[in-house]
Amino acid sequence: MNVIEVKGLTKIYKAQDFWKNDRVTAVRDVTFSVQKGEVFGLLGLNGAGKTTLMKVLLGLLKPTNGSVLILGGDIEDRAVRGRIGYLSELPYFPKYLKAREVLSYFADIFGIDEKIKKHKIEEVLKITGLDVRSDVRIKGFSKGMQGRLGLAQALLNDPELLLLDEPMSGLDPLGYKETREIILGLKKAGKTIFFNSHILSEVEKICDKVGVLHKGTMSEIKTVADIVKEHGDVEKYFVKIAGEN
Amino acid sequence: MRRVAAVAEYIFKQSFRNKILNVLIMFAVFGIGFALVISELAQEVEVKMVTDFGLFAIGLFGFLTLALSITVQMFEETELKTISMILVKPVTRLEYLIGKYIGITLTILMNVLLMLITLMVIIQIRGGDPWSLKLITAAGLIFISLGVLTSTALLLSVISTSVPGALIFLFFIYILGHLTMHLKHLAEAINNTAANIVINIFYYVLPNLELFNLKDKIFSPSGLFSPRYLGFVILYASLYSFATLLAAAYVFEKKEY
Ligand SMILES: Nc1ncnc2c1ncn2[C@@H]1O[C@H](COP(=O)(O)OP(=O)(O)O)[C@@H](O)[C@H]1O
Ligand SMILES: [Mg+2]
Repeated sequence: MNVIEVKGLTKIYKAQDFWKNDRVTAVRDVTFSVQKGEVFGLLGLNGAGKTTLMKVLLGLLKPTNGSVLILGGDIEDRAVRGRIGYLSELPYFPKYLKAREVLSYFADIFGIDEKIKKHKIEEVLKITGLDVRSDVRIKGFSKGMQGRLGLAQALLNDPELLLLDEPMSGLDPLGYKETREIILGLKKAGKTIFFNSHILSEVEKICDKVGVLHKGTMSEIKTVADIVKEHGDVEKYFVKIAGEN
Repeated sequence: MRRVAAVAEYIFKQSFRNKILNVLIMFAVFGIGFALVISELAQEVEVKMVTDFGLFAIGLFGFLTLALSITVQMFEETELKTISMILVKPVTRLEYLIGKYIGITLTILMNVLLMLITLMVIIQIRGGDPWSLKLITAAGLIFISLGVLTSTALLLSVISTSVPGALIFLFFIYILGHLTMHLKHLAEAINNTAANIVINIFYYVLPNLELFNLKDKIFSPSGLFSPRYLGFVILYASLYSFATLLAAAYVFEKKEY
Protein backbone atom coordinates (compact mmCIF):
# COMPACT_ATOMS: atom_id res chain seq x y z
CA MET A 1 0.00 0.00 0.00
CA ASN A 2 1.26 3.47 -0.87
CA VAL A 3 1.37 5.76 2.13
CA ILE A 4 2.60 8.68 0.05
CA GLU A 5 1.72 8.95 -3.61
CA VAL A 6 2.92 11.97 -5.55
CA LYS A 7 2.21 12.53 -9.24
CA GLY A 8 3.61 15.28 -11.44
CA LEU A 9 4.06 17.63 -8.50
CA THR A 10 5.30 21.14 -9.23
CA LYS A 11 5.57 23.99 -6.76
CA ILE A 12 6.29 27.49 -7.99
CA TYR A 13 6.73 30.22 -5.39
CA LYS A 14 5.20 33.49 -6.43
CA ALA A 15 7.16 36.64 -5.82
CA GLN A 16 7.39 37.49 -2.15
CA ASP A 17 8.15 41.03 -3.08
CA PHE A 18 5.03 42.80 -4.26
CA TRP A 19 6.87 44.85 -6.87
CA LYS A 20 8.87 42.15 -8.57
CA ASN A 21 7.47 39.11 -10.22
CA ASP A 22 10.24 36.64 -9.73
CA ARG A 23 9.12 33.09 -9.58
CA VAL A 24 11.05 30.22 -8.11
CA THR A 25 10.29 26.71 -9.27
CA ALA A 26 11.26 24.87 -6.11
CA VAL A 27 9.84 21.47 -7.07
CA ARG A 28 9.55 20.42 -10.69
CA ASP A 29 7.32 17.61 -11.96
CA VAL A 30 8.11 15.13 -9.19
CA THR A 31 6.54 11.66 -9.17
CA PHE A 32 7.24 9.03 -6.55
CA SER A 33 5.64 6.90 -3.89
CA VAL A 34 6.51 5.59 -0.45
CA GLN A 35 5.17 2.27 0.77
CA LYS A 36 3.95 1.29 4.18
CA GLY A 37 6.71 0.48 6.63
CA GLU A 38 9.45 2.06 4.53
CA VAL A 39 12.01 4.58 5.67
CA PHE A 40 12.45 6.96 2.78
CA GLY A 41 15.35 9.41 2.71
CA LEU A 42 15.08 12.53 0.61
CA LEU A 43 18.54 13.89 -0.09
CA GLY A 44 19.55 17.16 -1.66
CA LEU A 45 21.78 20.19 -1.33
CA ASN A 46 20.59 23.28 0.50
CA GLY A 47 17.91 24.93 -1.58
CA ALA A 48 17.17 21.78 -3.56
CA GLY A 49 13.50 21.95 -2.61
CA LYS A 50 13.31 19.30 0.14
CA THR A 51 11.45 21.44 2.65
CA THR A 52 9.13 22.73 -0.06
CA LEU A 53 8.26 19.20 -1.15
CA MET A 54 7.56 18.13 2.43
CA LYS A 55 5.37 21.15 3.08
CA VAL A 56 3.32 20.41 -0.01
CA LEU A 57 2.84 16.83 1.25
CA LEU A 58 1.63 18.30 4.53
CA GLY A 59 -0.77 20.77 2.96
CA LEU A 60 1.13 23.76 4.38
CA LEU A 61 1.84 24.79 0.80
CA LYS A 62 -0.58 24.29 -2.06
CA PRO A 63 0.77 22.49 -5.12
CA THR A 64 0.97 24.55 -8.30
CA ASN A 65 0.44 21.39 -10.30
CA GLY A 66 0.09 17.68 -9.75
CA SER A 67 -1.49 15.56 -7.06
CA VAL A 68 -0.66 14.23 -3.62
CA LEU A 69 -2.29 11.34 -1.78
CA ILE A 70 -1.43 10.77 1.87
CA LEU A 71 -2.57 7.52 3.50
CA GLY A 72 -4.85 7.10 0.51
CA GLY A 73 -6.64 10.39 1.19
CA ASP A 74 -6.45 14.14 1.10
CA ILE A 75 -4.22 15.89 3.64
CA GLU A 76 -6.96 18.51 4.12
CA ASP A 77 -9.05 15.73 5.63
CA ARG A 78 -9.01 15.99 9.42
CA ALA A 79 -8.92 12.22 9.84
CA VAL A 80 -5.83 11.94 7.63
CA ARG A 81 -4.07 14.66 9.57
CA GLY A 82 -4.79 12.82 12.78
CA ARG A 83 -2.70 9.92 11.51
CA ILE A 84 0.51 11.77 10.65
CA GLY A 85 3.31 13.36 12.66
CA TYR A 86 5.52 16.22 11.52
CA LEU A 87 8.76 17.66 12.78
CA SER A 88 9.72 20.96 11.20
CA GLU A 89 13.23 22.06 10.34
CA LEU A 90 14.99 23.52 13.43
CA PRO A 91 11.98 23.64 15.73
CA TYR A 92 12.06 26.03 18.64
CA PHE A 93 9.53 26.24 21.43
CA PRO A 94 8.55 29.10 23.74
CA LYS A 95 11.33 29.50 26.29
CA TYR A 96 9.12 29.97 29.31
CA LEU A 97 7.37 26.60 28.95
CA LYS A 98 8.37 23.14 30.13
CA ALA A 99 8.49 20.14 27.82
CA ARG A 100 5.42 18.62 29.45
CA GLU A 101 3.45 21.84 28.97
CA VAL A 102 4.26 22.04 25.27
CA LEU A 103 3.25 18.41 24.83
CA SER A 104 0.05 18.91 26.77
CA TYR A 105 -0.96 21.79 24.48
CA PHE A 106 -0.14 19.81 21.35
CA ALA A 107 -2.00 16.77 22.69
CA ASP A 108 -5.11 18.94 23.12
CA ILE A 109 -4.73 20.18 19.56
CA PHE A 110 -4.56 16.56 18.41
CA GLY A 111 -7.75 15.99 20.37
CA ILE A 112 -6.18 13.23 22.45
CA ASP A 113 -8.50 11.93 25.15
CA GLU A 114 -7.88 13.57 28.51
CA LYS A 115 -7.74 10.14 30.18
CA ILE A 116 -4.84 8.82 28.14
CA LYS A 117 -3.12 12.17 27.61
CA LYS A 118 -0.83 11.97 30.61
CA HIS A 119 0.21 8.47 29.77
CA LYS A 120 0.86 9.45 26.12
CA ILE A 121 3.05 12.36 27.17
CA GLU A 122 5.15 10.14 29.44
CA GLU A 123 5.48 7.64 26.62
CA VAL A 124 6.82 10.11 24.04
CA LEU A 125 9.11 11.72 26.61
CA LYS A 126 10.56 8.30 27.24
CA ILE A 127 10.98 7.43 23.56
CA THR A 128 12.88 10.65 22.95
CA GLY A 129 14.87 10.39 26.16
CA LEU A 130 13.50 13.67 27.49
CA ASP A 131 11.85 12.17 30.55
CA VAL A 132 14.68 13.22 32.82
CA ARG A 133 14.57 16.86 31.70
CA SER A 134 10.86 17.32 31.26
CA ASP A 135 10.48 19.72 34.18
CA VAL A 136 13.22 22.07 33.05
CA ARG A 137 12.07 25.17 31.20
CA ILE A 138 12.88 25.12 27.50
CA LYS A 139 15.14 28.09 28.18
CA GLY A 140 17.67 25.53 29.43
CA PHE A 141 17.32 23.22 26.43
CA SER A 142 20.08 22.72 23.88
CA LYS A 143 19.27 22.70 20.15
CA GLY A 144 19.41 18.93 20.21
CA MET A 145 16.90 18.75 23.05
CA GLN A 146 14.54 21.11 21.26
CA GLY A 147 14.81 18.83 18.26
CA ARG A 148 13.93 15.85 20.42
CA LEU A 149 10.96 17.71 21.84
CA GLY A 150 9.94 18.40 18.25
CA LEU A 151 10.08 14.69 17.60
CA ALA A 152 8.17 13.95 20.81
CA GLN A 153 5.25 16.18 19.79
CA ALA A 154 5.14 14.45 16.40
CA LEU A 155 4.70 11.10 18.13
CA LEU A 156 1.84 12.05 20.45
CA ASN A 157 -0.88 10.66 18.20
CA ASP A 158 0.98 7.42 17.52
CA PRO A 159 1.18 8.37 13.82
CA GLU A 160 1.29 5.86 10.99
CA LEU A 161 3.36 8.24 8.90
CA LEU A 162 6.12 10.52 10.14
CA LEU A 163 7.52 13.40 8.11
CA LEU A 164 10.76 14.70 9.55
CA ASP A 165 12.50 17.74 8.09
CA GLU A 166 16.23 17.52 8.81
CA PRO A 167 15.82 15.74 12.14
CA MET A 168 19.59 15.70 12.60
CA SER A 169 20.60 19.19 11.66
CA GLY A 170 22.27 21.03 14.50
CA LEU A 171 23.11 17.84 16.37
CA ASP A 172 26.50 16.45 17.35
CA PRO A 173 27.62 12.92 16.42
CA LEU A 174 26.17 11.56 19.63
CA GLY A 175 22.89 13.25 18.73
CA TYR A 176 23.01 11.58 15.30
CA LYS A 177 23.31 8.21 16.95
CA GLU A 178 20.47 8.84 19.36
CA THR A 179 18.16 10.12 16.64
CA ARG A 180 19.09 7.21 14.43
CA GLU A 181 18.16 4.79 17.20
CA ILE A 182 14.84 6.53 17.75
CA ILE A 183 14.02 6.40 14.03
CA LEU A 184 15.00 2.75 13.75
CA GLY A 185 12.86 2.00 16.80
CA LEU A 186 9.90 3.68 15.13
CA LYS A 187 10.52 1.70 11.97
CA LYS A 188 10.46 -1.47 14.01
CA ALA A 189 7.11 -0.36 15.41
CA GLY A 190 5.84 -0.43 11.82
CA LYS A 191 5.74 3.28 11.09
CA THR A 192 6.41 4.75 7.68
CA ILE A 193 9.04 7.48 7.81
CA PHE A 194 9.81 10.13 5.24
CA PHE A 195 12.72 12.35 6.07
CA ASN A 196 14.95 15.01 4.57
CA SER A 197 18.61 15.07 5.23
CA HIS A 198 21.98 15.91 3.87
CA ILE A 199 23.84 13.76 6.35
CA LEU A 200 24.64 10.97 3.93
CA SER A 201 26.28 8.52 6.31
CA GLU A 202 23.15 8.50 8.50
CA VAL A 203 20.86 8.12 5.52
CA GLU A 204 22.79 5.06 4.49
CA LYS A 205 22.37 3.53 7.94
CA ILE A 206 18.68 4.31 8.36
CA CYS A 207 16.90 4.29 5.00
CA ASP A 208 15.43 1.58 2.86
CA LYS A 209 15.06 3.83 -0.15
CA VAL A 210 16.60 7.08 -1.24
CA GLY A 211 15.63 9.81 -3.67
CA VAL A 212 17.85 12.73 -4.55
CA LEU A 213 16.27 16.08 -5.19
CA HIS A 214 18.45 18.35 -7.29
CA LYS A 215 17.27 21.83 -8.24
CA GLY A 216 13.71 20.70 -7.78
CA THR A 217 13.97 17.54 -9.88
CA MET A 218 13.84 14.07 -8.35
CA SER A 219 16.27 11.34 -9.33
CA GLU A 220 15.22 7.76 -9.83
CA ILE A 221 14.27 6.22 -6.47
CA LYS A 222 16.65 3.45 -5.49
CA THR A 223 17.04 1.13 -2.55
CA VAL A 224 20.11 1.73 -0.42
CA ALA A 225 21.20 -1.85 -1.13
CA ASP A 226 21.17 -1.20 -4.88
CA ILE A 227 23.04 2.08 -4.48
CA VAL A 228 25.74 0.41 -2.44
CA LYS A 229 26.00 -2.37 -5.03
CA GLU A 230 26.20 0.01 -8.01
CA HIS A 231 28.12 2.97 -6.60
CA GLY A 232 29.92 1.77 -3.49
CA ASP A 233 28.14 4.09 -1.07
CA VAL A 234 25.39 6.71 -0.90
CA GLU A 235 27.86 9.57 -0.94
CA LYS A 236 29.30 8.59 -4.32
CA TYR A 237 25.81 8.25 -5.74
CA PHE A 238 24.82 11.60 -4.32
CA VAL A 239 27.86 13.39 -5.70
CA LYS A 240 27.18 11.85 -9.07
CA ILE A 241 23.68 13.37 -9.19
CA ALA A 242 24.08 16.61 -7.25
CA GLY A 243 27.54 17.26 -8.66
CA GLU A 244 26.32 17.73 -12.21
CA ASN A 245 24.73 20.98 -13.11
CA MET B 1 -14.68 22.80 20.53
CA ARG B 2 -12.01 21.25 22.74
CA ARG B 3 -9.39 22.41 20.28
CA VAL B 4 -10.71 25.96 20.30
CA ALA B 5 -10.60 25.89 24.09
CA ALA B 6 -7.05 24.51 24.05
CA VAL B 7 -5.80 27.33 21.83
CA ALA B 8 -7.64 29.94 23.89
CA GLU B 9 -6.25 28.56 27.12
CA TYR B 10 -2.73 28.44 25.72
CA ILE B 11 -2.87 32.05 24.59
CA PHE B 12 -4.42 33.22 27.84
CA LYS B 13 -1.72 31.52 29.89
CA GLN B 14 0.98 32.68 27.50
CA SER B 15 0.09 36.29 28.29
CA PHE B 16 0.67 35.79 31.98
CA ARG B 17 3.92 33.96 31.49
CA ASN B 18 5.30 36.82 29.47
CA LYS B 19 7.34 39.21 31.57
CA ILE B 20 6.68 42.29 29.44
CA LEU B 21 2.95 41.75 29.67
CA ASN B 22 3.13 41.38 33.43
CA VAL B 23 5.12 44.56 33.72
CA LEU B 24 2.56 46.30 31.53
CA ILE B 25 -0.28 45.21 33.79
CA MET B 26 1.61 46.46 36.83
CA PHE B 27 2.18 49.75 35.08
CA ALA B 28 -1.50 50.02 34.33
CA VAL B 29 -2.56 49.37 37.90
CA PHE B 30 0.06 51.75 39.30
CA GLY B 31 -0.84 54.25 36.61
CA ILE B 32 -4.40 54.33 37.79
CA GLY B 33 -3.21 54.32 41.40
CA PHE B 34 -1.24 57.41 40.48
CA ALA B 35 -4.53 59.24 39.99
CA LEU B 36 -4.97 58.88 43.75
CA VAL B 37 -1.65 60.57 44.43
CA ILE B 38 -2.55 63.49 42.18
CA SER B 39 -5.91 63.89 43.77
CA GLU B 40 -4.32 63.79 47.23
CA LEU B 41 -1.95 66.59 46.24
CA ALA B 42 -4.62 68.74 44.72
CA GLN B 43 -7.75 68.58 46.81
CA GLU B 44 -9.78 70.38 44.19
CA VAL B 45 -9.35 67.45 41.79
CA GLU B 46 -12.77 65.96 41.56
CA VAL B 47 -14.00 62.43 41.27
CA LYS B 48 -14.85 63.32 37.68
CA MET B 49 -11.23 63.84 36.75
CA VAL B 50 -10.12 60.67 38.46
CA THR B 51 -12.80 58.77 36.57
CA ASP B 52 -11.81 60.37 33.29
CA PHE B 53 -8.17 59.55 33.79
CA GLY B 54 -8.93 56.01 34.93
CA LEU B 55 -11.12 55.19 31.95
CA PHE B 56 -8.57 56.69 29.60
CA ALA B 57 -5.89 54.46 31.15
CA ILE B 58 -8.10 51.38 30.88
CA GLY B 59 -8.55 52.00 27.15
CA LEU B 60 -4.90 52.73 26.52
CA PHE B 61 -3.44 49.88 28.56
CA GLY B 62 -6.05 47.51 27.21
CA PHE B 63 -4.89 48.41 23.74
CA LEU B 64 -1.21 48.00 24.66
CA THR B 65 -2.01 44.57 26.08
CA LEU B 66 -3.56 43.64 22.75
CA ALA B 67 -0.61 44.98 20.78
CA LEU B 68 1.86 43.09 22.92
CA SER B 69 -0.14 39.90 22.84
CA ILE B 70 -0.32 39.99 19.03
CA THR B 71 3.42 40.66 18.86
CA VAL B 72 4.26 37.71 21.09
CA GLN B 73 2.04 35.40 19.07
CA MET B 74 3.26 36.51 15.68
CA PHE B 75 6.79 36.10 16.90
CA GLU B 76 6.16 32.59 18.19
CA GLU B 77 4.39 31.58 15.03
CA THR B 78 6.82 32.95 12.48
CA GLU B 79 10.20 32.87 14.19
CA LEU B 80 9.75 29.66 16.14
CA LYS B 81 7.77 28.03 13.32
CA THR B 82 5.44 26.48 15.87
CA ILE B 83 2.47 27.31 13.65
CA SER B 84 3.47 24.84 10.96
CA MET B 85 3.57 22.06 13.55
CA ILE B 86 0.14 23.08 14.81
CA LEU B 87 -1.58 23.53 11.47
CA VAL B 88 -0.70 20.03 10.25
CA LYS B 89 -2.58 18.60 13.21
CA PRO B 90 -6.29 17.80 13.05
CA VAL B 91 -7.38 21.35 13.85
CA THR B 92 -9.02 23.63 11.29
CA ARG B 93 -7.60 27.06 10.72
CA LEU B 94 -10.94 28.55 11.70
CA GLU B 95 -10.80 26.75 15.05
CA TYR B 96 -7.29 28.04 15.59
CA LEU B 97 -8.28 31.60 14.74
CA ILE B 98 -11.35 31.58 16.99
CA GLY B 99 -9.24 30.11 19.79
CA LYS B 100 -6.81 32.98 19.42
CA TYR B 101 -9.61 35.53 19.43
CA ILE B 102 -11.07 34.12 22.62
CA GLY B 103 -7.64 33.82 24.26
CA ILE B 104 -6.71 37.42 23.54
CA THR B 105 -10.06 38.88 24.56
CA LEU B 106 -9.93 36.91 27.82
CA THR B 107 -6.49 38.35 28.53
CA ILE B 108 -7.78 41.84 27.85
CA LEU B 109 -10.87 41.21 29.99
CA MET B 110 -8.67 40.21 32.91
CA ASN B 111 -6.63 43.39 32.56
CA VAL B 112 -9.64 45.62 32.16
CA LEU B 113 -11.24 44.11 35.26
CA LEU B 114 -8.05 44.55 37.26
CA MET B 115 -7.80 48.19 36.24
CA LEU B 116 -11.50 48.80 36.80
CA ILE B 117 -11.30 47.42 40.33
CA THR B 118 -8.34 49.68 41.04
CA LEU B 119 -10.26 52.63 39.70
CA MET B 120 -13.31 51.76 41.77
CA VAL B 121 -11.23 51.59 44.92
CA ILE B 122 -9.83 55.05 44.19
CA ILE B 123 -13.24 56.49 43.46
CA GLN B 124 -14.44 55.06 46.76
CA ILE B 125 -11.53 56.68 48.57
CA ARG B 126 -12.27 60.01 46.88
CA GLY B 127 -15.83 59.80 48.10
CA GLY B 128 -17.46 59.02 44.77
CA ASP B 129 -19.82 56.20 43.88
CA PRO B 130 -17.75 53.27 42.62
CA TRP B 131 -20.82 51.20 41.79
CA SER B 132 -22.21 53.81 39.41
CA LEU B 133 -23.88 52.01 36.56
CA LYS B 134 -22.58 54.61 34.14
CA LEU B 135 -18.99 53.95 35.15
CA ILE B 136 -19.36 50.21 34.71
CA THR B 137 -21.16 50.66 31.39
CA ALA B 138 -18.43 52.97 30.14
CA ALA B 139 -15.75 50.43 31.10
CA GLY B 140 -17.80 47.68 29.45
CA LEU B 141 -17.92 49.61 26.19
CA ILE B 142 -14.18 50.12 26.32
CA PHE B 143 -13.79 46.37 26.61
CA ILE B 144 -16.12 45.85 23.65
CA SER B 145 -14.11 48.32 21.57
CA LEU B 146 -10.98 46.33 22.48
CA GLY B 147 -12.78 43.23 21.19
CA VAL B 148 -13.32 45.05 17.88
CA LEU B 149 -9.63 45.94 17.81
CA THR B 150 -8.70 42.33 18.56
CA SER B 151 -10.46 41.02 15.47
CA THR B 152 -8.88 43.83 13.46
CA ALA B 153 -5.45 42.93 14.85
CA LEU B 154 -5.97 39.27 13.95
CA LEU B 155 -6.82 40.28 10.40
CA LEU B 156 -3.66 42.38 10.23
CA SER B 157 -1.57 39.55 11.65
CA VAL B 158 -2.67 37.13 8.92
CA ILE B 159 -2.35 39.69 6.14
CA SER B 160 1.11 40.97 6.95
CA THR B 161 4.27 38.97 6.70
CA SER B 162 6.23 40.92 9.29
CA VAL B 163 5.57 41.71 12.94
CA PRO B 164 6.52 45.42 12.68
CA GLY B 165 4.26 45.79 9.64
CA ALA B 166 1.25 44.44 11.51
CA LEU B 167 2.02 46.59 14.56
CA ILE B 168 2.38 49.82 12.64
CA PHE B 169 -0.97 49.26 10.96
CA LEU B 170 -2.57 48.37 14.27
CA PHE B 171 -1.40 51.63 15.89
CA PHE B 172 -2.46 53.53 12.78
CA ILE B 173 -5.95 52.04 12.99
CA TYR B 174 -6.13 52.69 16.73
CA ILE B 175 -5.30 56.36 16.31
CA LEU B 176 -7.37 57.00 13.18
CA GLY B 177 -10.20 54.90 14.61
CA HIS B 178 -10.55 57.51 17.33
CA LEU B 179 -10.56 60.30 14.77
CA THR B 180 -13.10 59.03 12.24
CA MET B 181 -15.51 61.89 13.08
CA HIS B 182 -12.81 64.34 12.12
CA LEU B 183 -12.23 62.43 8.91
CA LYS B 184 -15.83 63.04 7.95
CA HIS B 185 -15.44 66.75 8.63
CA LEU B 186 -12.17 66.76 6.73
CA ALA B 187 -13.83 65.19 3.71
CA GLU B 188 -16.48 67.88 3.79
CA ALA B 189 -13.87 70.63 3.96
CA ILE B 190 -11.71 69.39 1.11
CA ASN B 191 -12.73 70.09 -2.45
CA ASN B 192 -10.69 67.40 -4.07
CA THR B 193 -12.60 64.36 -5.32
CA ALA B 194 -9.70 61.92 -5.15
CA ALA B 195 -8.76 62.96 -1.62
CA ASN B 196 -12.41 62.81 -0.70
CA ILE B 197 -12.78 59.27 -1.90
CA VAL B 198 -9.69 58.15 0.01
CA ILE B 199 -10.88 59.85 3.20
CA ASN B 200 -14.32 58.34 2.82
CA ILE B 201 -12.85 54.88 2.37
CA PHE B 202 -10.97 55.34 5.62
CA TYR B 203 -14.10 56.64 7.27
CA TYR B 204 -16.14 53.57 6.39
CA VAL B 205 -13.45 50.91 6.69
CA LEU B 206 -11.87 51.93 9.98
CA PRO B 207 -13.64 50.99 13.18
CA ASN B 208 -15.32 54.02 14.70
CA LEU B 209 -13.81 53.75 18.14
CA GLU B 210 -15.24 56.99 19.47
CA LEU B 211 -18.67 55.37 19.52
CA PHE B 212 -17.44 53.39 22.52
CA ASN B 213 -16.08 56.38 24.38
CA LEU B 214 -18.55 57.51 27.00
CA LYS B 215 -16.13 58.81 29.57
CA ASP B 216 -16.92 62.45 28.87
CA LYS B 217 -20.63 61.76 29.19
CA ILE B 218 -20.64 60.03 32.56
CA PHE B 219 -21.27 63.22 34.47
CA SER B 220 -23.52 64.89 31.98
CA PRO B 221 -27.11 63.98 31.41
CA SER B 222 -27.15 62.53 27.96
CA GLY B 223 -28.99 59.94 25.95
CA LEU B 224 -25.79 58.05 25.29
CA PHE B 225 -26.47 55.65 28.11
CA SER B 226 -29.88 54.80 26.72
CA PRO B 227 -30.52 51.14 25.95
CA ARG B 228 -31.10 52.21 22.36
CA TYR B 229 -27.66 53.74 21.96
CA LEU B 230 -25.97 50.86 23.77
CA GLY B 231 -27.85 48.36 21.64
CA PHE B 232 -26.72 50.16 18.51
CA VAL B 233 -23.08 50.21 19.61
CA ILE B 234 -23.10 46.54 20.54
CA LEU B 235 -24.66 45.67 17.20
CA TYR B 236 -22.04 47.75 15.42
CA ALA B 237 -19.25 46.02 17.36
CA SER B 238 -20.64 42.56 16.63
CA LEU B 239 -21.01 43.20 12.93
CA TYR B 240 -17.61 44.82 12.61
CA SER B 241 -15.88 42.03 14.56
CA PHE B 242 -17.71 39.33 12.65
CA ALA B 243 -16.80 40.84 9.30
CA THR B 244 -13.12 41.31 10.17
CA LEU B 245 -12.86 37.80 11.64
CA LEU B 246 -14.49 36.39 8.53
CA ALA B 247 -11.98 38.24 6.36
CA ALA B 248 -9.14 37.02 8.60
CA ALA B 249 -10.39 33.43 8.33
CA TYR B 250 -10.57 33.75 4.55
CA VAL B 251 -6.99 35.06 4.24
CA PHE B 252 -5.69 32.59 6.82
CA GLU B 253 -7.23 29.66 4.96
CA LYS B 254 -5.24 30.58 1.83
CA LYS B 255 -2.03 31.48 3.59
CA GLU B 256 1.00 29.26 3.06
CA TYR B 257 3.44 28.46 5.85
N1 LIG C 1 8.59 31.19 0.78
C1 LIG C 1 9.40 31.17 -0.29
N2 LIG C 1 9.26 32.07 -1.29
C2 LIG C 1 10.07 32.05 -2.36
N3 LIG C 1 11.04 31.15 -2.55
C3 LIG C 1 11.25 30.22 -1.59
C4 LIG C 1 10.44 30.18 -0.41
N4 LIG C 1 10.87 29.15 0.36
C5 LIG C 1 11.88 28.58 -0.32
N5 LIG C 1 12.13 29.21 -1.48
C6 LIG C 1 13.13 28.83 -2.50
O1 LIG C 1 12.82 27.54 -2.97
C7 LIG C 1 14.00 26.76 -3.14
C8 LIG C 1 13.91 25.50 -2.32
O2 LIG C 1 13.96 25.80 -0.94
P1 LIG C 1 13.79 24.69 0.19
O3 LIG C 1 12.61 23.86 -0.15
O4 LIG C 1 13.78 25.36 1.49
O5 LIG C 1 15.12 23.84 0.02
P2 LIG C 1 15.82 22.79 0.99
O6 LIG C 1 14.87 22.46 2.09
O7 LIG C 1 16.15 21.63 0.12
O8 LIG C 1 17.06 23.44 1.51
C9 LIG C 1 15.15 27.68 -2.75
O9 LIG C 1 15.67 28.23 -3.93
C10 LIG C 1 14.52 28.73 -1.90
O10 LIG C 1 15.21 29.94 -2.02
MG1 LIG D 1 15.10 22.61 4.13
